[in-house]
Amino acid sequence: MKESLLRIEGLHAGIGGKEILKGIDLDIRPGEIHAIMGPNGAGKSTLGAVLTGKPGYEVTSGRVSYMGRDLLAMAPEERSWAGLFLSFQYPVEIPGVTISAFMKAAIDAKRQNAGLPAFTGAEFLKLLREKMAFVKMSPDFAKREVNVGFSGGEKKRNEIFQMAMLDPALSILDETDSGLDVDALKIVADGVNALRSPEKSAIIITHYHKLLEYVVPDKVHILKAGKIVASGGREMVDVIENNGFEKF
Amino acid sequence: MSAKNHKLFILRPGDKFEPLNLVLGENYREEITFLVLPGVTAEIDLNAELSGAGAEVKIRGLFLCCSDEKVSIRTNIRHSVPSTSSSQLICGIAGGQSRASFAGRIVVVQDAQKTEAIQTNRNILLSDSARIETHPELEIYADDVQCSHGATIGRLSEEEQFYMRSRGIPEGEAKILQMISFLAPVLEGREDKEALMQQIEKSLRQMV
Repeated sequence: MKESLLRIEGLHAGIGGKEILKGIDLDIRPGEIHAIMGPNGAGKSTLGAVLTGKPGYEVTSGRVSYMGRDLLAMAPEERSWAGLFLSFQYPVEIPGVTISAFMKAAIDAKRQNAGLPAFTGAEFLKLLREKMAFVKMSPDFAKREVNVGFSGGEKKRNEIFQMAMLDPALSILDETDSGLDVDALKIVADGVNALRSPEKSAIIITHYHKLLEYVVPDKVHILKAGKIVASGGREMVDVIENNGFEKF
Repeated sequence: MSAKNHKLFILRPGDKFEPLNLVLGENYREEITFLVLPGVTAEIDLNAELSGAGAEVKIRGLFLCCSDEKVSIRTNIRHSVPSTSSSQLICGIAGGQSRASFAGRIVVVQDAQKTEAIQTNRNILLSDSARIETHPELEIYADDVQCSHGATIGRLSEEEQFYMRSRGIPEGEAKILQMISFLAPVLEGREDKEALMQQIEKSLRQMV
């Protein structure tokens, strides 16, 4: 059996003194896709925030190891360099910063950290165009300010574009499917599926089954009131679709 | 239309700024840009009287303070005849224990109809102990004019910073990107924008 990519043990965390995660255990191995489902307020987004190091969240007990490293001791940028990626539920607008400049800074930092030479302008542009085409984004978007004036679907597509650019080992998709029409959903799903490999893993956080029709998870966990109350295979998705979260 | 005159002042440590007193006659157009780099304590005093129809003054300025600088900016624009225009955009960043102030006065005399005057002062505080004051002062005695002013003092958004950091952009780089985008409108439309921005970026790197 492969070693864990991400191992969460007894994680308690919250914000502003309020405990939201009340003892999470999770073990994700390379190549696995895990879905975390649960009603609103269960702590799904808090889990994503804690894993990516969002300021303001406090871990009160528990451990998270990622590739054998203590994830919680790493700065958000270090987590990114190590291959962790969060697709934001509410992508942030950055007025005055173009997608191109934003991604150039991200790729430069990543390569520098890996001890690789910086991309030339041409190399960067080639990668940018390739990944934009991959998520069916118009090349004009490169010059647009990050998420400013984007529709809901465009913002989510921009998240998947960034994911493709950074080629993460572990992607966390936080409600990436909410507010998407079927076409946009398919683009997101194609993006996630295309990045699947025996080494790459993903956590799909959602309260719908929609995205999971296109991206088939290996494991499904039900998160309720800060705890994982049930885990199983993909058949769990149908149980939830038919019965909701009530019985868990 | 007569040609536009450009004046560019780049203030580095030790530099002083001589008060500027301009009288702009008919169709006379003047553009003044000042960049106050870190480590400069200075008073910027700009006075312009628009005394001929079609006269136009454009003021663009930025200041960067990161330690114990004191920067005081005063503009005084007088629209004394009809059909003149002024536009001001001053953006400042203050960190450390610096003190910065902007006082912008615009006077539109009674028969200076069809005056256009815009004044914008935007500021970012980088530390709790820096201080920025902004005092717009508009005296408008004519009734057929378009005048607007706006002043803001804010901080760099931590939400934006986390978003960038989550993509692998180090915190310092994220702040530099934010500050560049905040300052960029000051140099918008200039041919030497890139070159000036490079100098500014160098200064910003000392500040984060």
